[in-house]
Amino acid sequence: MPWRTGHRRLGAAETRGLLGEPDPETRLKILDHLDRNCLTFIAHSPFCCMATADASGATDCTPRGDYPGFVRALDERTLLIPDRLGNKLGDSFSNIVENPHVGLLFFVPGVVETLRVNGRAYVTDDGDLRTMLEQDDVRPELATLVEVDEAYLHCGRSLLRSRLWEDDMRDLAQEIPSPGTFWADAAATEGLDAERLDRLFDDGYQELY
Amino acid sequence: MMTRAGGRLLTVTGIDRPARDIVALHLADPAGGPLPEWEPGAHIDVQLITRHLRQYSLCGSPDDRTGYRIAVLRERLSRGASAYVHSYLDVGKKVRVWEPRNHFGLRPAERYVFLAAGVGITPILPMVMRAREAGVPWRLAYSVRTLEEAAFRDELAELGEAVTLRATGTGGRLDLGGFVGDLREGTGVYCCGSPGFVEAAEKAVAGWPEGSFHAERFVPVPRDFGPSEPFVAVCARSDVRVRVDAGVGLLAALRREGVRVAGGCLKGVCGSCAVTVLDGVPQHRDSLLGPGTLDRMHACVSRAATPEIVLDV
Ligand code: FES
Repeated sequence: MPWRTGHRRLGAAETRGLLGEPDPETRLKILDHLDRNCLTFIAHSPFCCMATADASGATDCTPRGDYPGFVRALDERTLLIPDRLGNKLGDSFSNIVENPHVGLLFFVPGVVETLRVNGRAYVTDDGDLRTMLEQDDVRPELATLVEVDEAYLHCGRSLLRSRLWEDDMRDLAQEIPSPGTFWADAAATEGLDAERLDRLFDDGYQELY
Repeated sequence: MMTRAGGRLLTVTGIDRPARDIVALHLADPAGGPLPEWEPGAHIDVQLITRHLRQYSLCGSPDDRTGYRIAVLRERLSRGASAYVHSYLDVGKKVRVWEPRNHFGLRPAERYVFLAAGVGITPILPMVMRAREAGVPWRLAYSVRTLEEAAFRDELAELGEAVTLRATGTGGRLDLGGFVGDLREGTGVYCCGSPGFVEAAEKAVAGWPEGSFHAERFVPVPRDFGPSEPFVAVCARSDVRVRVDAGVGLLAALRREGVRVAGGCLKGVCGSCAVTVLDGVPQHRDSLLGPGTLDRMHACVSRAATPEIVLDV
């Protein structure tokens, strides 16, 4: 029997029973808008992950990164996310068009807490909004506007346990196959060798905007 | 994005609001040391903790070596830096600053006409003060949309009659031609403002002798340079030859090969990316240098007119 099936599946009550109840204060820290602290976090964050789902609920989570503050808070309920050069798969966009709900997780290097922001998004090509997202003289073609429903600071235990920001953890990187290897192995096509693909990645990485 | 090498961290020692949408930042050395000298018209590159790099004219007094003053407009469509300064920069925070540079220096003249619009008053203000100290006759026209947008009004009010402040929202457009008046030899005209304002000023002095009009621009002069040709940049110090294809800029091509050149506006208006030319002929596509300059070029937008150009990088 494969590992992925055959285990006891827990329902809500059983899961809650094992997890215990959160402190009432924990719920209190969930805001329905971005307060000054959340805004400050986002204004200094160079990286976030964005989770989206299609109409059926199937999800994707994609990384976004740029200058600190690249996700612009237009006001306490509105975020603006640039679409920079990427793989053009556009998974997030096709999801958002079907299902506006997005979950964002913001990081600031060196800070163990992360900021979670949930809301509803749409994709736009509005000229003014794109102008505000211009970077290194390049204006993105698309932007994602997020209407904020919930925001809260997630505690730092997972980043503390993982020691994510500690320099000595960087030796892990050398164990990871190169992107060309990932691609070549996944595509398994004649003539696609990892080294050549790695050079393509390197070239591609020269152009960030 | 990068943390640019060099420069020095200065502390924000004061923030005030010389106009509704403008904050003035006072910057000083954290240890209290003297700052590099500058002349009216100079600007500095400022890098925020967000790594946004911008150019701001110095608008304090060149005689004050203990601090710089710059003014930052709150832009409706801020690309990040202006919004950050207005929302998050506080007294005690630090910004990285490079040596002042000047493409807009005040040259000796028998009299001066200063034309400023909006936040364009910043480089003009020290020029006015300098002219006044030197006892050279001067006049200033300062155009703003509303009076609340007029910066440094107290300082300007002390200057009396020679200042014409016009709120175009209520008073209508400033007649620049009328203000500048008829051509008089020996007059230096210095202008800073929006592209439309600079253009109108340029028209007002059409036919004046070469070299009488000087403008500081935030936006490149629109010009057509024809198709871009590929060329090779020979980097004398790093000992590499870099091919610059037609669709790529010199600065981008150099960086790609690991040759570090500072960048700022990337539009050819700030001068941050100046490199020394040792051989070959530059084709200046920036808004600062003309065909007469053969020994330096601005790598962000300029190219080579010869198949090879040798750079001291
Ligand atoms: S970066 Fe401003 S002139 Fe080149």
